[in-house]
Amino acid sequence: MTKGIKKAISTVLMLSLVAACTGCGQSSEETGEFSPKYSSDTEYKLSVAGTYSNFESLESAIERFYAYYPNGEIEYTYLDDYRNTIVHALAGQEAPDIYVVQPWMFKDPQFTSLFESAEVLSDPDLKIDLSQIRSGVRWEMENGDVLALPIFASSIGMLVNEDIFAKEKLEVPADYESLVKCCDKLKAAGYESPVMGANTNTSPGIGYAFAYPVFAKAVKDDRTVEEGLNALDPSAGEVMRDSLVRVKEFVDSSCIDVDKCTAEIEDDYNAVIMRFFEGDVPMMLCSGDVVSGTRKRESKSEAFIEKPFKYSFYVAPSGDKGGYYMDSVSILFSVNKNSSSLDMTNEFIRFLTSKGELGLMAEEKGLITPTKDYSIDEVYASLSDFPGDRTISFNDIELLDTAVKEFRAAAYAVVNGEMTVDEAVSAYGSLFGE
Amino acid sequence: MKKRYIIIINIMIVGLILFIIVKYANDRASESNHVSVASFEKMTTTTEQIIANYLEDEQHLCDIWSNYINRSAEAGIPMTIDDAISYIRKAKISPEISGHLIYIDDGSMAGISTSASTTDESDYSIDYSNIPIFENLEISNVNGVVNLTRAYTNPLNGVQSIAFLNNVKVRDEKTEAMREGLLIRVVPVSRLEQKLVFLKGEYENVEISIIDWDGDYMIHGKSLKNSNFFEYFKSYNPMSAQDYNKVVETIRTGIGSMHIRNSQNADSVIAYTPLSGLESWYLVAYIPTKELTVNRSIDWMLLGIVSAGLLVLLLCNLLIILSFNRKLQVAAEAANQANEAKSHFLSTMSHDIRTPMNAIIGMNEMILRSSLEEKTLVYAESIRTAGNTLLGIINDILDFSKIEAGKMEIMEVDYNFVSLLNDLVNMVQNRAEEKGLSFELDVDRNIPRILHGDEIRIKQVITNILSNAVKYTKEGGVIFAITANKCEDDADQVILHVSVRDTGIGIRKEDLDKLFVAFERIEEKKNRNIEGTGLGMAIAQSFLNMMGSKIRVESEYGKGSEFSFDLKQKVADWEPLGDFESAFKHFLSERKRYRVQFVAQGAKILVVDDTEVNLKVFVSLLSETRMQIDTADSGDAGIARFKRKHYDVIFLDHMMPDKDGIETLKEMRECKDSPNQKTPVICLTANAISGMREMYINAGFDDYLTKPIDTGRLESMLMRYLPQDLIEKTDIDDKELGSPDTEIADKAADSRHSILLIDNDVDHLRRAKDWLSDDYKVVVVKSGEQARSYLEKHETELIVLDKDNEINSEFEGGRVLRNNFKELGRDELISQVNDFFGN
Repeated sequence: MTKGIKKAISTVLMLSLVAACTGCGQSSEETGEFSPKYSSDTEYKLSVAGTYSNFESLESAIERFYAYYPNGEIEYTYLDDYRNTIVHALAGQEAPDIYVVQPWMFKDPQFTSLFESAEVLSDPDLKIDLSQIRSGVRWEMENGDVLALPIFASSIGMLVNEDIFAKEKLEVPADYESLVKCCDKLKAAGYESPVMGANTNTSPGIGYAFAYPVFAKAVKDDRTVEEGLNALDPSAGEVMRDSLVRVKEFVDSSCIDVDKCTAEIEDDYNAVIMRFFEGDVPMMLCSGDVVSGTRKRESKSEAFIEKPFKYSFYVAPSGDKGGYYMDSVSILFSVNKNSSSLDMTNEFIRFLTSKGELGLMAEEKGLITPTKDYSIDEVYASLSDFPGDRTISFNDIELLDTAVKEFRAAAYAVVNGEMTVDEAVSAYGSLFGE
Repeated sequence: MKKRYIIIINIMIVGLILFIIVKYANDRASESNHVSVASFEKMTTTTEQIIANYLEDEQHLCDIWSNYINRSAEAGIPMTIDDAISYIRKAKISPEISGHLIYIDDGSMAGISTSASTTDESDYSIDYSNIPIFENLEISNVNGVVNLTRAYTNPLNGVQSIAFLNNVKVRDEKTEAMREGLLIRVVPVSRLEQKLVFLKGEYENVEISIIDWDGDYMIHGKSLKNSNFFEYFKSYNPMSAQDYNKVVETIRTGIGSMHIRNSQNADSVIAYTPLSGLESWYLVAYIPTKELTVNRSIDWMLLGIVSAGLLVLLLCNLLIILSFNRKLQVAAEAANQANEAKSHFLSTMSHDIRTPMNAIIGMNEMILRSSLEEKTLVYAESIRTAGNTLLGIINDILDFSKIEAGKMEIMEVDYNFVSLLNDLVNMVQNRAEEKGLSFELDVDRNIPRILHGDEIRIKQVITNILSNAVKYTKEGGVIFAITANKCEDDADQVILHVSVRDTGIGIRKEDLDKLFVAFERIEEKKNRNIEGTGLGMAIAQSFLNMMGSKIRVESEYGKGSEFSFDLKQKVADWEPLGDFESAFKHFLSERKRYRVQFVAQGAKILVVDDTEVNLKVFVSLLSETRMQIDTADSGDAGIARFKRKHYDVIFLDHMMPDKDGIETLKEMRECKDSPNQKTPVICLTANAISGMREMYINAGFDDYLTKPIDTGRLESMLMRYLPQDLIEKTDIDDKELGSPDTEIADKAADSRHSILLIDNDVDHLRRAKDWLSDDYKVVVVKSGEQARSYLEKHETELIVLDKDNEINSEFEGGRVLRNNFKELGRDELISQVNDFFGN
């Protein structure tokens, strides 16, 4: 062996030693990397029950989990009529090991068993790292227990065609005043309706997506109104005024052509996306769920295939000092503490909370990650470091679904001129039924 | 062949074998894979049968329930919904299976179950209004062989289940009206999955799925992602919409298999078949391709072993070839040495025989020149004949040596065909006469006179054939015939047909093949008294082959033979040769004895030879030239004379003891103060094997002359190398040529005819005068002016001119003989002059 070769081998060995020593100094827990707790040949069979008929992002995560524990199987099952069957399923002989819960279920007596059956994920013995979950979406019980792991977060706001703004040399507006100015310029540049959206009274609808954050901020700032709102007390409707006035100003401005929206956008999901992909809409009001459907539909839009463009999600600039970020939870996973494979179930949850996993799942699903790190999906990059004082998380306010529906109906009526703001405010409590 | 080529060829063969093995292994593996896939398909259809049978069984049990309920209704004692469920509760055996009965006539899709809710043991109510499983079914009239729903969540226990349906009629307990009900036999999917456990033994990683028309799974394994098989397929197998539709259509309409990419981009196989008895349900079996395909590691191992074996074989081959090469090298060296030994032997033999022959023939020549006694002349003539025969044998051996070495070349020149015939006939006729044989000539008068070819080799070929004819004929005679025909292919050529027919001993047919084999003599014992080496015909055949012809033989044993050949020759002059026979007869009658070609009194020559008798022969042969000849008996003696005295020509023997001719020449050439710096040195050698000429010329000699010395050649060579002014002292010189008044005639006689030769070539004039002077008064002049001057004062009977000479036109008339006599030999010239005078 020549002297040179000996020298090279010695160098490689030295470097290996140094690298090993460096590695020893930092545990996987600190780095957030997943480190299997059990033997890789552990056999298991887990089931996950959920509301999605298709849960590809979970299946991808399961595939990654198989890399550590190949001798098992995790099956995702879509339950028909989930809200009625999950309780029976949990009580049945084929109870799922993991099941989906949503915040609205918490105070509904029908779902009590879901939370009673849930493993306390914040138990230190389980070593599940919840620190990376944003505080706004981390759902702690009154006693501090965490019974469900947020998998996806969601919001409402607008999709922005970045290429148009780059072309017109405009900044994406951050507050209402700049929105109006921006829309004037865009309109002058030939965009008939600089902002569009589904003219519906659902979550992605124009009025709700644009003004609900203003309304939610008002409730957050004065939570004494919550009770009246939840009780559908007409007098509580006054709290909607500012947001409805803003809606009215908005539809009366040059920003949006409601008739055009009505004519060109037939529904609040698929049509919203396909219209946005036509490429001539600078801003499209929508919900996070709509954003999650964009990627799959890129290949279905001939216009987008022909002329693709960069797009991102932004908070709607409906406030005077800026927009408000509704940081809400989409779905959460709870672990069935009666699971016959509880250890491996918790191990899987621990895997999901390891570095990057939740981010990857959210990125694949097209929804907002529940973690602090927004960097994985650049569509939501604008939400990173969003000011806390303009962020309304799901547990900042406790409005029942009925109250929310009342606001959606009020906003829809104002947007379409069916009611004035005063009429809508005074009709609170009976708007949705109408 | 070079070693590297052998290695390359071997490596290519090894590569080819490996390629064939790999291809064979691949083909076998491919074939095996096809078989595996076919087996997998077969397994799928078997599974389909099992599942179909199971589903039919379940449907059958559902039908039994419904039939019982409906028969009660038909019998006029319809059951209430509670009665029906109560009956089913009793009838069903498995606790996992439950029966649901719901009203469908009012769209409520609500009813009761055989099992209680998992959350409330007292609650048996059931509600399917939020479970969309009947969308594709006509539930008011389910009448299929199997009426099956997709997999769905059992609303009472949350278990994924499938349901078998049938219509029933029940009585409404409150209104007593008959109601339309739907009986649902609810079976957990896990129960169906248990039926497929048997497959695990045969295929470890097989996953069975059942999909509906839209691709939605009823059941599916962990590898098939998504809730819809077709969506899954599209996600991981990108293709055009047209191709995708074709795939979907294929799965929906037939039984078969296909390769797909799974979610990890690994190759997989799916086999598909419709579920019999069901509309729009399909069984899809999935398996990773690697589990189906043959494990080829054994093939690679086998390939490795074969490769190693072939490489060992290659090495062995190389070693053996190297060993053979070494032996061949040794054999080649031995053969080279043997060849060198042969060349040395030939050289030595040639030299050693020619050296004494030189003395014998040379001295005999002197006897023939000087003796006047008839008997002595006869004896001397016999010696000359025998000597020439012996030289012929040696020449044959030397020629054969040249042919074998590939050094024999055909030298083509213009030649006079008459001269060639003269020499041939002259040579053979004597021998024939001596044996008492007749010799007949049949020469075509129209053969062109001047041809272009290798005269010497043609003469040699015909001489050999004629000699054999004479040698092997005891009585009768030999007929020598030559004809010529114009060549059809080439107007400038003629085809000579040469034939020699004899009445000799003839050749057996079986011996004909031996005729042209070197050193092979036919009937050796019988012909042992006939001289010969057995080379003559082989050499003749070789020469003819080199000239594009071959000898044909027709023979009848005991009666005679005919040898013939056709030879293409280019024609230089189409003038026909005329009546050769009469000319030849005259020539024979006038055949003359030797005459010296020139006299050079002032010439000084030196001859160096270690053999005293050869020196004497040399001096004697040139005695009539009157040159001053010095001799030296060794190389050193020759060098001493070379340094002292000027010579016009030096003859130097090659093979001498102590210092041979080449060494002597080298020393002479190195001598700076010799008066012979520019003197031509001619090698005398008895060595006449192939390649000698090149060797002597390369060694520095100006020319070479073989022994035994031919006087004519020697004199011709001297005439070429001696300074012309020295030849001036002979009978014919420039001075005389320039003074036609001085008539020169050898042995003058007034009765002889007078001839005037006119030509500007002095050498030619000198030779021609010499040849004709015995019988005629010959005067030679160099120019037309001289000729006219001469003719003003003298009469001459014949003027001989070269036909190309410009002065021809001045002497047209009957006295003039025009010819290209520069081309003619001695005998031919004499013959033509004799013809003119009618001699």
